[in-house]
Amino acid sequence: MWEFFVRSLDASTIFTLAALGELIGQRSGVLNVGIEGVMLFGATLGFIAAQSTGSYLLGFLVGIAIGGLLGLMHGFFSITLGVDQVVSGMGIWIMGFGLTTYIGNPYTGPLGMPRIPSILGLSPFFYLGIALVVITWFVLSKTSLGLRIRSVGENPSVAEVSGIDVAKTRYLCVTIGGMLMGLAGAVYSLDYNPVWNYNFLMGWGFIALALVFFSMWNPFILLSGSLLFGTLWQLSLNPQLVLPGVMSRYIWRMVPFAITLLVLLIMSTKWFRIKWGAAKPEALGQPYVKE
Amino acid sequence: MRIGSYELKLEKRGTLSNWQAASISILAIIFALALFSIIFILAGINPLSAYREIFSFAFINPYGLPPTINRFIFLLFCTYAFIIPFRAGLWNIGMTGQLYAGALGAFAVLFAFGGKASLSADLSLEIVIPFMLIAAALGGAVPGAIAGFLKGKYNINEIVVTMLLNFIIFWLVSFMIKEGGPFMNPGGRGESFELPPSVYAPLINNVPFTIFIALGLAVLIYFLFAKTKIGYQIRAYGQNPAAAEYAGISPFKIPLLVFTLGGAIAGLAGYHYFAAVPGVYKIARNYGFFGDLAFYGIICGLISLGNPIAAIPVALLFGGLSVGGRYVQGKLSMSFGLDYALLGVLMITLVVFQFFYRYKIVFIKIGKERTDVGVLR
Repeated sequence: MWEFFVRSLDASTIFTLAALGELIGQRSGVLNVGIEGVMLFGATLGFIAAQSTGSYLLGFLVGIAIGGLLGLMHGFFSITLGVDQVVSGMGIWIMGFGLTTYIGNPYTGPLGMPRIPSILGLSPFFYLGIALVVITWFVLSKTSLGLRIRSVGENPSVAEVSGIDVAKTRYLCVTIGGMLMGLAGAVYSLDYNPVWNYNFLMGWGFIALALVFFSMWNPFILLSGSLLFGTLWQLSLNPQLVLPGVMSRYIWRMVPFAITLLVLLIMSTKWFRIKWGAAKPEALGQPYVKE
Repeated sequence: MRIGSYELKLEKRGTLSNWQAASISILAIIFALALFSIIFILAGINPLSAYREIFSFAFINPYGLPPTINRFIFLLFCTYAFIIPFRAGLWNIGMTGQLYAGALGAFAVLFAFGGKASLSADLSLEIVIPFMLIAAALGGAVPGAIAGFLKGKYNINEIVVTMLLNFIIFWLVSFMIKEGGPFMNPGGRGESFELPPSVYAPLINNVPFTIFIALGLAVLIYFLFAKTKIGYQIRAYGQNPAAAEYAGISPFKIPLLVFTLGGAIAGLAGYHYFAAVPGVYKIARNYGFFGDLAFYGIICGLISLGNPIAAIPVALLFGGLSVGGRYVQGKLSMSFGLDYALLGVLMITLVVFQFFYRYKIVFIKIGKERTDVGVLR
């Protein structure tokens, strides 16, 4: 049971990191639907770097760097070129899915390195995730940088008039967001499940995307959502630990996705929106063109 | 930007003529293939000879051409499943799940007619195949309708919903065909029971009859958008949902309609690949591969700019490229996933070219007095 609990927290950490990256970008008004692609890239290249150099540190750095690069690329497409953000995000996802399948295939199999030591029984990334949630909350709601980011996400033309460089702020956010997603991928392939396989993520990125909508763009709700979905995901992988013999294991694999759908549905009802209000950044998904 | 005595300037395009759009799309494909040759070069292979192998296998070789045509039909269904919602400004990336659901629907009909019990079951072709087609379309329409309903009624992001449904149905198929599921092969292999030969899809010159459905859909969809009121409403909703609602177009019915139609067409793709392509005739263990192929439909739809007629040559080309890619990968002993890599490169090139659908580069000769001008945008 303790093992299950630890694994659930590990899974939650990956959801937290990836969704936090998406949250930061969305707060500045840029939607990136390509999280899964960025994670696949971070995971695959991080895995290859770690395996060929024998250094975990290098693996994580490569994962973060490729994530940042892809974030920057999404920024270039959607901010500078003004391409539809959904098109660009889909492009990054399909590119990640396609290229990592080809690049990673010769590395199929286990990582073959000693496991990363745990701190007080938990993965060090769990603590990092919590710290990043607090930092993100602090920066977004207590600092002038956070105010800038939020105003760019709410109303870019007003922000521009008040002297904020919209493009620069958005670039900053998507790049940092991409780095977090890349890190999330590297944590998956180097710590959570150090085995490379074709399209191993199977939906983590899309659940992370749904988590951001679920969080109503609040880092703390996002953290609790990640804990919930991490546990659920772990349960779907190992249902026999908690409920042995109930339902086929394939049915269990559907459960996290079905519950995500259900949660999105409840959150989108009129009742919920009136009760809790919606904090969706006003300018989310709209390219900003300086007149 | 300045080059010599010319100034390079980007200009916003007005409306794009068909020929302009087509030439940009062709340029995008050529560019992607050029970019893709880097992968061959990195693997130490001459890209020109690799492309010659790909094209000659896919379009000339008697062993390569039938798979190309089968894949072309499949991609065309997937493209139309993408295009119809796309014209309404909505993203259907759930073709994967919808086609699995379609395949499950078709096999459910066989199951009901006793096709699982015996391979030698003598079923009537004229009765069973229409039922299978209808069930496949209905099967695909269900997940489509769910996505459309949630978008129309609650405005839930359709990308997230269709993707979640993809995973749900992926595991549903595993449940049905593996580990004692109802559709499991009696031999105990982790795949579905096989089609009785009496209901193999009729072939014309070795090509399944589904090609006529696919090409017929091209014409129907063209007319839907060009001539009918509902087609006009879909386009109006796609251009500006708020204005369309003001003009009395239901913001609930349009998403529901386009996703249901798209899902039904994707369901036919499931029938086609699992029940009509010679040599398959079952939901294979590696059904995930066919689902992944469906993503080529997104690229076809984007490159053809939502035009169902233009999608025909594009789907043929990509069908051939993916078949030929798989072939050279084996022949030149390259790493697995060449067709996946091609998918990725095509997609990202297309994203960049989205920019050129809206802007064009013009060269202006700079006079002496204008040397200070040099804006990129």
